[in-house]
Amino acid sequence: MEPLLVVLQGLPLTLIVSIGSFIVGAILAVPLSLGLRTSILPLRLICRLVVDLLRGVPMIVWLFVLKFGISSPEFRLTSLEAALLGLGTISAGYLAEIYRAGLQTVPRGQYEASQALGISRPIAFFRIIAPQAVRIVSPTIATYFIGLLKNSSIASTIIVAEMVFQAQAYARQNLSISGVLPYVFAGLLYIALSVPIAMASRSLDERLRKSVI
Amino acid sequence: MDTQRNESEDFMLELGAITKSFGKNTILHQVSLRVRKGEVCSIIGPSGAGKSTLLRCINLLEQPDSGNMSLNGNFYDVSFPLRQDELLSLRRTCGMVFQSFNLFPHMTVLQNVVFPQRHVLRRNESEAREVALKLLDRVGLKNKASSHPTQLSGGQQQRVAIARALALEPKLMLFDEPTSALDPELAHEVLDVMRELADSGMTMVVVTHEMNFARTVGDHLVVMADGHKIEEGIPEAIMDHPQQSRTRQFLSAVNH
Ligand SMILES: Nc1ncnc2c1ncn2[C@@H]1O[C@H](COP(=O)(O)OP(=O)(O)O)[C@@H](O)[C@H]1O
Ligand SMILES: [Mg+2]
Repeated sequence: MEPLLVVLQGLPLTLIVSIGSFIVGAILAVPLSLGLRTSILPLRLICRLVVDLLRGVPMIVWLFVLKFGISSPEFRLTSLEAALLGLGTISAGYLAEIYRAGLQTVPRGQYEASQALGISRPIAFFRIIAPQAVRIVSPTIATYFIGLLKNSSIASTIIVAEMVFQAQAYARQNLSISGVLPYVFAGLLYIALSVPIAMASRSLDERLRKSVI
Repeated sequence: MDTQRNESEDFMLELGAITKSFGKNTILHQVSLRVRKGEVCSIIGPSGAGKSTLLRCINLLEQPDSGNMSLNGNFYDVSFPLRQDELLSLRRTCGMVFQSFNLFPHMTVLQNVVFPQRHVLRRNESEAREVALKLLDRVGLKNKASSHPTQLSGGQQQRVAIARALALEPKLMLFDEPTSALDPELAHEVLDVMRELADSGMTMVVVTHEMNFARTVGDHLVVMADGHKIEEGIPEAIMDHPQQSRTRQFLSAVNH
């Protein structure tokens, strides 16, 4: 049972990194997705470029750049900060694209009805358009989050002591026992976390869709 | 001087030489229109005539290229985009009902009518609810208040859309083919609501293919073709004795 307990010690950081970077990404993706749809051409091109770069850069490279590339004496990111920022910005790229797709499915008539009623643009966006868009892409967002949960293990490479990091450390120190056991436990924990999310998102999806489509 | 002012006070809406183009295509050619207070003005004409575009120029869902407008005593030069506060106050004066209803699908029927009141008129929740329930009752849908729009028939959705617009106490109601997406059995329940609204004294501009409605409820009839107003007058007179050949063609097409 010792390897399981060791891996479990990594669980909080796995959750912090995945949930934290998801929140960072979900917030940063709002202005980015608006930028992808703006009629101001230079702004749209810049946002497009940023999104494509964030989606194109390998996570591990981006984490190394943030952790070890910024090394001025007065400013340096901790491992956790680098992980949150790195995975957060990459998530922003993916989520911006998902939001954009969702916004595109909201019929023009919804904007027009809001305008005709004299509802201001920000309120129309946040209370009428965005909720419908999010409902439509909520399964895609859940799928992305499950991927992010698993990808949070990449943070082990910049010394964030999450589950895979703990498994690795234990395996290295206990070669004689069974090197693979901690990894098996880590794998089972990832599955135990993602299956309920997938199930919840499916049932949520059915309910939400009923009220939109 | 005095008579002039009195005369212009009789009008809820005056459009002066509204011109609108999309790219190189001019869709509206200097269209002018006057609608008296309490009057029901119907606009008919073949598809593509520019009827919807004209209606959408009134509440500036489309920005005209040039023209002017007087609405409820306020004068607007619409050759240029209005300031945001002017635009919002103009839109507050007009209610609009669309062919495709455009209810908010993520809100209940009640919320659809409450939400705009809260944000546009800043009414408090209980007052907004009270107004909403009264209006839903008026359109015969009080019992559907907690349903979602998708659970309603098209005719019911359109009646909710009318209630939603009325909740903001508009001075002028704009209808863009409100029954064109509906089966005839459902259209009449919407037309009944519109008839009642007209009887209550609401000023209305109605783009429609319902000739019977235009004849029996309408006070004034405008015929449009190719971005021009080609004929206007008393509905019976135009329907029975059209002066323009395009009007005759159009009327014989809808009557068969
Ligand atoms: N947003 C738009 N962009 C380009 N052309 C448009 C647009 N809206 C309408 N039109 C064109 O304007 C003309 C008049 O359209 P519309 O006002 O919808 O006519 P109606 O309501 O009388 O059928 C049509 O030829 C249509 O193709
Ligand atoms: Mg039309």
